[in-house]
Amino acid sequence: MIDLFLYIGLPYIAIIVAAIGCYRRMRYSKYSMTARSSQFLEDKQLLWGSAPWHIGILVVLLGHGIAFFLPSVWSAILSVPMATFIIETIGVACALLALAGLGTLIYRRLTSARIQAVTTTADLLVVALLFGQVLLGVLSAMNFRYGSNWSTGTVVPYVWGILTLRPDMAYVTGFPMLFKLHLIGAWLFILLLPFTRLMHILAVPFQYLFRAPQIVIWNTTRRRRHAVAATAKADSRREFIKGAVGVTGATGLLAIGVSSKAINYIKGAGGDLEAESALLEKKLKRLELTAEERKYELERQRNTMILVSTYKELDPVKGKYFIDYAMAPGLAFMGKDCVPIVLSAKCTHLGCTVSSTLDANGKVMCPCHISYFDITTGQPNEGAPAKAPLPQIGWALVDGTGKVVVSRIPGQSPQGEIKPDLLAQCSLYITKPGKATA
Amino acid sequence: MDVRAHVSVIFHLDKCIGCHTCSVACKNVWTDRPGAEYMWWNNVETKPGTGYPTRWEDQKKFNGGWKWDGKDKLETRCQTRADSFLKLFYNPNQPNLDDYYEPFTYKYDDLFTAKQGDDQPTAIPVSLITGEPMEIKSGPNWDDDLSGSPLYAENDINLDALTDEERNQLFEIERLTMFYLPRICNHCANPTCVAGCPSGAIYKRGEDGIVLINQEKCRGWRACVAACPYKKIYYNWKTGKSEKCVLCFPRLETGQPPACFHSCVGRIRYMGVMLYDADRIPDAMKVPDRALVESQRNAFLDPNDPDIIAAARKNGISEEFIDSAKNSPAYKYIMEWKLALPLHIEYRTMPMLFYVPPLLPVMGKSANGTYTHDAKNFFTSLDDARMPMKYLASLFSAGNDQIVEDVMRKLMAVRYFKRWQSVKDMDENEVYKILREANTTPEEVEEIYQMTAIPTHFQRFVMPPLQREESIESTCSPEVCKGCTGFSLEPAFNPRA
Repeated sequence: MIDLFLYIGLPYIAIIVAAIGCYRRMRYSKYSMTARSSQFLEDKQLLWGSAPWHIGILVVLLGHGIAFFLPSVWSAILSVPMATFIIETIGVACALLALAGLGTLIYRRLTSARIQAVTTTADLLVVALLFGQVLLGVLSAMNFRYGSNWSTGTVVPYVWGILTLRPDMAYVTGFPMLFKLHLIGAWLFILLLPFTRLMHILAVPFQYLFRAPQIVIWNTTRRRRHAVAATAKADSRREFIKGAVGVTGATGLLAIGVSSKAINYIKGAGGDLEAESALLEKKLKRLELTAEERKYELERQRNTMILVSTYKELDPVKGKYFIDYAMAPGLAFMGKDCVPIVLSAKCTHLGCTVSSTLDANGKVMCPCHISYFDITTGQPNEGAPAKAPLPQIGWALVDGTGKVVVSRIPGQSPQGEIKPDLLAQCSLYITKPGKATA
Repeated sequence: MDVRAHVSVIFHLDKCIGCHTCSVACKNVWTDRPGAEYMWWNNVETKPGTGYPTRWEDQKKFNGGWKWDGKDKLETRCQTRADSFLKLFYNPNQPNLDDYYEPFTYKYDDLFTAKQGDDQPTAIPVSLITGEPMEIKSGPNWDDDLSGSPLYAENDINLDALTDEERNQLFEIERLTMFYLPRICNHCANPTCVAGCPSGAIYKRGEDGIVLINQEKCRGWRACVAACPYKKIYYNWKTGKSEKCVLCFPRLETGQPPACFHSCVGRIRYMGVMLYDADRIPDAMKVPDRALVESQRNAFLDPNDPDIIAAARKNGISEEFIDSAKNSPAYKYIMEWKLALPLHIEYRTMPMLFYVPPLLPVMGKSANGTYTHDAKNFFTSLDDARMPMKYLASLFSAGNDQIVEDVMRKLMAVRYFKRWQSVKDMDENEVYKILREANTTPEEVEEIYQMTAIPTHFQRFVMPPLQREESIESTCSPEVCKGCTGFSLEPAFNPRA
């Protein structure tokens, strides 16, 4: 369980928090985006701290990056004799360089009074964690040799698994503790990124390589009019291109459809017999279903009353489904006072059919989005996706002679005498809305 | 031709008394904040002297400004595009706190809370950075009036142009000379700070040429601090952002001159619009040192030329700016009278702040230690100048003494002429000969006198009603359009107590 959290939960938390946090900080807190250099306050020790640290760690991270993003290239490089040796040597040397630099930086941060004035708790946490992380990395590299080789088959697929939403921690659970800690540390840094000065990693000024030496910004509309006109022109051009691409695309798709039909027409009906018979069978089934539906529809158009069931068959818990006049499902229950309860079974939320079995609270549930309806009133529970009650349906109890004994129009109380022993001979019908029962 | 308007500045050094009122006005408005205590966007230096930060003119150490390869290439001296990335980690050209001074205050509370004793309670100095007691070793104007000091004045890098004899003469006891040099950001037309900023946070405002740092875009890489040869960009150690003189643009936009201009006791400061041809930049700065002043003048355009006015209108320059350019005191000083010179044009940033070199210390030299101010020979000649021309040329004309001498001659001619007008102690022909030699006319002398000695507020500051009413603010939120307003009073982080 703890493994699950550390190797799958933590990475996702870290990535999500970092993504949202970095976005928010870059978008809403631009002012806080700075490396907060302290060279101004102290520059002699900084030279021996900052330069080796940054250069060392960048080379090491470059190695990690190539192995991660281009595992095949990395493996290909390593297959060259001596390459592993050279790469590992460079890696360890740079890591040690970084470690030495970081040591100097920590020493400087702890001893210089001026630097103390600009040191936050988060800064100390970051440098301490960095030191631990690099140390763990170096120790792993030394204890478990040729990490550059074995990592492509273990850590790289693990991280890719995380990123492609197919997390598989089987790759990493077997790792030695030293390396596990290094891995967890890496996720921690991603997590910390937006909340600390580590954020300056994302402020690398690549645009400086390409931009013009002078930047001039105009504020007045007078001058901007040209700019606005130019933008509008570019915009309209863009819009035109977008439209043209859309039309061309649609025409293309249409052409493909038409030509495939044309080709089929020319080629004639091909295919094997089996597929064709299966297709015919499906067609037939569909026709049968349609015919049945039409039958029901006709029945409802011609008759003012439709038989649901006999009175005896009605059950207080297990409702009986039927099809109502709107060709939608309905449910009939035996009420507590021996009066039938007849209501629509079409959920008022999105039209699913509600279940027919009452739960302990005397409610039926719609399985689609979990609304509970009270069958006596039809009302959904509070907070349910459905807001409107299930509508009541008019019904009539008819005895063997065809005489209506009791009937009910929705919203009114039942008409007629309710005598259970007499009713036992009766059958339940639903009545056509708006037609008086005869 | 790409005509642009530039709010340009003249400092008349003859009138500067070195009172630092400008510095204090600026400090109270802009840099009275944590992290900015050491900054003096406006400072006044004594020359000869080492200035602030100490020896800022030493570009062998700080590597500011542009480097010209003698042909077609002008590049920032402090970095190339590639190695600027390495310099993010450690910038070898950046001055540190000790090059400026450690800001301090005094523990005034101790005066009131000290326990009763035999001795007078004292307020000891404490650092504004660490809060610890400290020994004050330097300050923003530490070498004020210390001309002749072997510690400060003799380390002035501009003295390298002088012979040993001239140096000794300059610093002779009881006969030393000095003048004051107030400095703000030059708002250069070819700024290295803009070119050097990796984040692209520094920009020039198109309308008036003010150079500003977008505080939200600034990432604190400090390349601008190194790139600016005048060291007029300061790193705020608390917010992690760089800051600089904003030429009080909020004041300008409401029609007021900047705080340092307005408060100037000696009324040495002038402000006016210059029209220049942006197409000639940076090529104008690709000429040998001695030709730089003239080359910069060639980039300026005549605001009375109808063709130029038409081109300016076409380029979006408002009528108000064009009118201001016509009445600009800057144009008169720089182009008509050719009295105002840029400071250290050899850095090739095309500074838009110009100085009228000081005549008074030049006139002070005399033989045998006595001043011979008799009626016959009231002013000494330039040959007897006490402040060597070479020194002034090193400051104001990239070593071209001819230019400085021309200015001096004209300044002197104004004095001869005005004295003659009221005292009549010279022969008229002789006075006119002096005017001819100085390449000037009585009318021009009158104008110079008028503008130098008795100008009104509105003659000194000819500022166009800035584009408030027509600025983009009317069509979109100023925060969105300008992006770069102001400085946060809140530090970007909370330092540990």
